[in-house]
Amino acid sequence: MIDLIIFLALLALGYGFGRYAELKHYRSIIQREKELRDIPAVATKFPPLTKAVDVALVSGSVVISVDYFKRFVAGLRNLIGGRVTAYESLLDRARREAILRMKEEARAFGGHIIFNIKLETSSIHKGRKNGVGAVEVMAYGTVLIKPRKIS
Amino acid sequence: MGDTASSKMHEKSLYIKHLSRPRYGLTDFSRLNNHRMKYSNPEIPEGINTSTQHPLKEFALLVGGVLGAVLAVVMVLTLLADRLAVYIPFEVEMRLASRVTEGLPVEEVKSLPIEAYLNRLADKIVAEQKLPPGMQITVHYVDDDLVNAFATLGGHLFMFRGLLEKLPHENAVAMVLAHEIAHIKHRHPIRSMGRGMIFGLAIGMVSSTLGNAMTDRVLANTGGLTVLKFSRDQEWEADQTALHALYQLYGHVDGADRLFKVLEQATENGSLQTPEFFSTHPLSKRRIDNIHAFQVGHPATADATVVALPEQFSTWLIPAAGGQAEGMP
Amino acid sequence: MLVTNIEIIPGKRITKHLGLVQGSSVRAKHLGRDIMAGLKNIFGGELKGYTELLQESREEAMERMIQQAEAVGANAVLNVRFSTSSVAAGAAELFAYGTAVVLE
Repeated sequence: MIDLIIFLALLALGYGFGRYAELKHYRSIIQREKELRDIPAVATKFPPLTKAVDVALVSGSVVISVDYFKRFVAGLRNLIGGRVTAYESLLDRARREAILRMKEEARAFGGHIIFNIKLETSSIHKGRKNGVGAVEVMAYGTVLIKPRKIS
Repeated sequence: MGDTASSKMHEKSLYIKHLSRPRYGLTDFSRLNNHRMKYSNPEIPEGINTSTQHPLKEFALLVGGVLGAVLAVVMVLTLLADRLAVYIPFEVEMRLASRVTEGLPVEEVKSLPIEAYLNRLADKIVAEQKLPPGMQITVHYVDDDLVNAFATLGGHLFMFRGLLEKLPHENAVAMVLAHEIAHIKHRHPIRSMGRGMIFGLAIGMVSSTLGNAMTDRVLANTGGLTVLKFSRDQEWEADQTALHALYQLYGHVDGADRLFKVLEQATENGSLQTPEFFSTHPLSKRRIDNIHAFQVGHPATADATVVALPEQFSTWLIPAAGGQAEGMP
Repeated sequence: MLVTNIEIIPGKRITKHLGLVQGSSVRAKHLGRDIMAGLKNIFGGELKGYTELLQESREEAMERMIQQAEAVGANAVLNVRFSTSSVAAGAAELFAYGTAVVLE
């Protein structure tokens, strides 16, 4: 019985905090995406052949953990099959956050466009069971930096 | 005006000079890009890669669905186990008993006078119940205050001092024995074990899939109710068989209800820490009604008097008098 | 050392290809960070410790790749890729590789 109470408490805590964190994170993502909208990021490998520009490799990465509630829901979903919506938002958040961090680095370089974006996703195994505890997403690409006027 | 200004800012146009000859290696990569290509970065609407469904709604659907499915599977499997367990030979059950009933004094020899008496009475009932050949009944006496009696694997019955002290005559003692022997006759212990094993197996499988120690708690709590229900059916079956045996042995079932009155009292005045065994039993009141209904259908064929207990019965109950002090811890 | 994940750099010409260079780093998780991560497993959210750890190891992998490139006399690494693979429970390999070239 005590176990059940602990379990339900963890579930409620996970739901409350997890949902709050997710909504907050999404708000921040949307806000920052707006701010960094002037740095396009494209998956094309070939930059336009303009005059000489500086290039730099930029990257951004983030590790996000899933909360207790989502892990339980995903566990149940495992039995039935189908879309694991609980993890969809986790991966969406992680990817967008990684891209944003990459763009922030690009801005620090004074770059204006990122080419050949690659996204790398890996799950971090936590504990004995091989369930997804957390995911790491890394975004990287090459930023083109316009040379200074005085050259 | 502000709109066009901001969209200008979001669109980076990089002019590409047309190159007549390849500049980089063998391929003219410049052909891959259009002239005057514009790189824009429009806003993508939310909710395409993620679900807009409320997480609690999905949670409710999943919990309901999984619990329903698990319950259905467990019910089918336990029913199957219940049916199949009957075909396990009794010798196998007896061999099993020596392992499963560890900690219970199963191998105890009937050295106490009380055990000898109970076994004699049990033999008479066994004859009336027409047990299948090979089925053996062994009655054990447990020196403990618990108001309890139970039958377990391998035809072993356990009678507790707490219960025997409260029974006024032989007919009531016979009712207890007949009830427990009926359990053995109908192979209830092995059937319960089969069910328990299937149930445990199902729970184990579910919890390992979920990988969550807490989940099986939830499932075990819901599943327990169905097992309880089956046990009640078995109690009714045992009661019915026991009454028939008593009717044949004494020619009447007077005094049989005494057992349930004792149980009812013990539960009511709270002196009895309700033993686990009885928690699955049907209400004593209903069982007394059942006996009275039986009496209507089966009028007494003999003198409706109860048989008294042997004179030394109360001294037998105290193990020191029997010269042996042993009992349940 | 110029490091990039595109193959051609506007305005620069490749004079020499020097082949594949690679750098790798295998890291195990840190106990202290793991405890915090255990808590985060209930509430969800970013595991900053892990983010930093993986970033550091990736930088190390890249440094090793650059060391290789310097050793062969390159001045740029093009078409760089990263890959992550868990080798054993609690240990991950961060790997970076690319083409070492000499730019004019």
